[in-house]
Amino acid sequence: MQYRAGEEEQQAQSKKALKKQQKEAEKAAKKAEKQAKLAAEQQEADEDDFAKDRYGICPMVQSQQKLDRALVRVQDLTPEKAEQQIWVRARIHTSRAKGKQCFLVLRHQQFTVQALLAVGDRASKQMVKFAANLTKESIIDVEAVVKKVEQKIESCSQQDVELHVERIFVISQSEARLPLQLEDAVRPEGEGDEEGRATVNQDTRLDNRVIDLRTTTSQAIFRLQSGVCQLFRDTLINKGFVEIQTPKIISAASEGGANVFTVSYFKTSAYLAQSPQLYKQMCICADFDKVFCVGPVFRAEDSNTHRHLTEFVGLDIEMAFNYHYHEVIDSITDTMVQIFKGLRDRFQTEIQMVNKQYPSEPFKFLEPTLRLEYKEAVAMLKAAGVEMGDEEDLSTPNEKLLGRLVKDKYDTDFYVLDKYPLAVRPFYTMPDPNNPKYSNSYDMFMRGEEILSGAQRVHDAQLLTERAMHHGIDLEKIKAYIDSFRYGAPPHAGGGIGLERVTMLYLGLHNVRQTSMFPRDPKRLTP
Amino acid sequence: MPMYKSPNVHGHGMNCGEHALQNGEVDPSLKALEERQDEVLRRLYELKATVDGFAKTVTTPDADLDASTPSPGPAESVFKGTADLDSLLGKDLGALRDIVINANPARPPLSLLVLHALLCQRYQVLSSVHVHSSVSAVPPPLLSCLGPRHIDSYARQRFQLGFTLIWKDVSELQMKFSTQSMCPIEGEANVARFLFRLLGAEPQDPAAATQMDCWIDKAVFQLSEGGSKDRAAVLRSLNAALGRSPWLLGQEFSLADIVCACFVLRAGQTTSAPVNVQRWLKSCQNLGHFDCVYPFLQ
Repeated sequence: MQYRAGEEEQQAQSKKALKKQQKEAEKAAKKAEKQAKLAAEQQEADEDDFAKDRYGICPMVQSQQKLDRALVRVQDLTPEKAEQQIWVRARIHTSRAKGKQCFLVLRHQQFTVQALLAVGDRASKQMVKFAANLTKESIIDVEAVVKKVEQKIESCSQQDVELHVERIFVISQSEARLPLQLEDAVRPEGEGDEEGRATVNQDTRLDNRVIDLRTTTSQAIFRLQSGVCQLFRDTLINKGFVEIQTPKIISAASEGGANVFTVSYFKTSAYLAQSPQLYKQMCICADFDKVFCVGPVFRAEDSNTHRHLTEFVGLDIEMAFNYHYHEVIDSITDTMVQIFKGLRDRFQTEIQMVNKQYPSEPFKFLEPTLRLEYKEAVAMLKAAGVEMGDEEDLSTPNEKLLGRLVKDKYDTDFYVLDKYPLAVRPFYTMPDPNNPKYSNSYDMFMRGEEILSGAQRVHDAQLLTERAMHHGIDLEKIKAYIDSFRYGAPPHAGGGIGLERVTMLYLGLHNVRQTSMFPRDPKRLTP
Repeated sequence: MPMYKSPNVHGHGMNCGEHALQNGEVDPSLKALEERQDEVLRRLYELKATVDGFAKTVTTPDADLDASTPSPGPAESVFKGTADLDSLLGKDLGALRDIVINANPARPPLSLLVLHALLCQRYQVLSSVHVHSSVSAVPPPLLSCLGPRHIDSYARQRFQLGFTLIWKDVSELQMKFSTQSMCPIEGEANVARFLFRLLGAEPQDPAAATQMDCWIDKAVFQLSEGGSKDRAAVLRSLNAALGRSPWLLGQEFSLADIVCACFVLRAGQTTSAPVNVQRWLKSCQNLGHFDCVYPFLQ
């Protein structure tokens, strides 16, 4: 009977084996079925994707070819182009799929337009899916037909048209995770808190400046700033001024020893210029009569305030005059008024765009500019309850209060304060001829904050030496400067403004970092 | 021109001075005749000037004119009262006491220009004109309406009073002085009343003061803001009052005359105004203070 037991075992074993085989066969069959299904689907997909030539990711543009293709800018998409088939390059601002449709908002600088891609005879399901999955901020080329719309598209800048997409290609893809969302970056502060939606704080913006600068607000701010620079140049050129460039690596601190950056200069050290002051004046002594310069200014001031930067752009003026330094004040104030008028008349779009996120009162001014004397300012402040000495410098809160008092009475955001006390001005300031306690110096204010400090300069080498000694300045260090006045020097005066501060105050913004593209302060050196 | 031609004793086209007697001298009797003729002509001119002066004096009771000057300038000082700026405006603490007036360039405040001229005669006034950024451009006469810029205008401290006119897009004329202690004054007539007080010439008698206010209100509400019927009624009242006395308040020139005359002039059609009104307007013109107003009338 052993024979039978072995057989039974064998039978049992073969039963197991059979079961195993069966299972494996089932598995294999399932797998095969699946694969067959996939293959079938793929085939189907390939077959159904009749639009696969009309979308995709372009190879990186390495200047492989010269395409004779005109790209229309988003801002030019208007009803006049209705029914035209055009190419547009823009960023994906938003993309949203809804069933068989995909809505895109395309953006270029401050301008946005809606684009539509729908499954139909021009676009396949796969194409729509591709469009819906594109990451925000990617740069794409789109071929589309411009269509007029019945109802205005309120959320876009181009409200009267939309694009019906025919082809869509990615030129440069963006990573999916953005360090900040653009719509958060343009949200007004109050609104964010109210509706529980995010706004972006300043440090995040500055750390990711490249993206922050893409917002409509930033685009408007810096275009306006470019306008300020342009108007400054144009006005002065028309008045007969010559533009000069002054050195920034200098051998002696011009304003005083404390706030200057030192750089190593071969075997010795040098300084970064705190202002073009000394060189502007030397140009006057060299008979250029009226000069201006636009360039960086470096101040190593460890103040972390809303209005100080360690590096900013200075717009400086220096002018020889005939008999009275008021000739120069008149010239400077007229230049400022021309800048304000130019901004008021030609940059309203930009001003409105900034006001959407940062509402403020429009900037007001008088022509000719209001000029008050320092004594008057002290009297006005005293009448308002401030206690201060007659020859004391104005503190920042007092300047702000004075600005408000002037605004109340004269309704102007810009004015000049003339005849400052001598004691609070630099050594090269010309003293007042009738009262030695005062000087021929002046400050100009915008919205109650100082934007320009200027004066008639001492053009006599003897007096200059006296004044320098009085201020305890090392004469050796400024020898070259004093020497320039020894060979006949015309009476002259001037002043300088900071581009970032003027833009900030004109727009009614509250932090100078908003108007500096890549700001520098004691805590920030990058980007 | 001689009244009749006298036959030329010595020849044609020569005057006697060129004619010497045979011994080379000019005839002294001829010289004397010439001199007498010059003297007569000179006295005739003088008489004419005096008569002109008197004519103006008769029609313009307050004019204090020097009758021998052929072209009279503005009166030396029409108002003889005294005013203390320190008590009216507050002590001079070192800040220029600056009166700021915001006016719409479409409706220049003529009476205030007249008052400005009067203030300038009385005090050292620093006058300035500005254009506010709310207005894009202003015709040149409006920029020079306060006269030429004072030479010393760079030394604000030397002046007793500031008069700053700002052309601005405002619906109602507005004056600001001490924003800490005074609310703005609105309306040309009200500002005129304030400025008039600085001249120290307001009538002390309450009845006269009330009458003055009455005339000013008539000018504002009926002449300026009223329809053609109202205007005609005011002109009739003016005519009646001016039939009884040279000025609206009687013998004294006052703010009532300034305001009413300016409003009448601005309304236009002065040639068709009643007789007494026309005479009165001429008197106002003769005083000289209204010269600044004429460039702004159509």
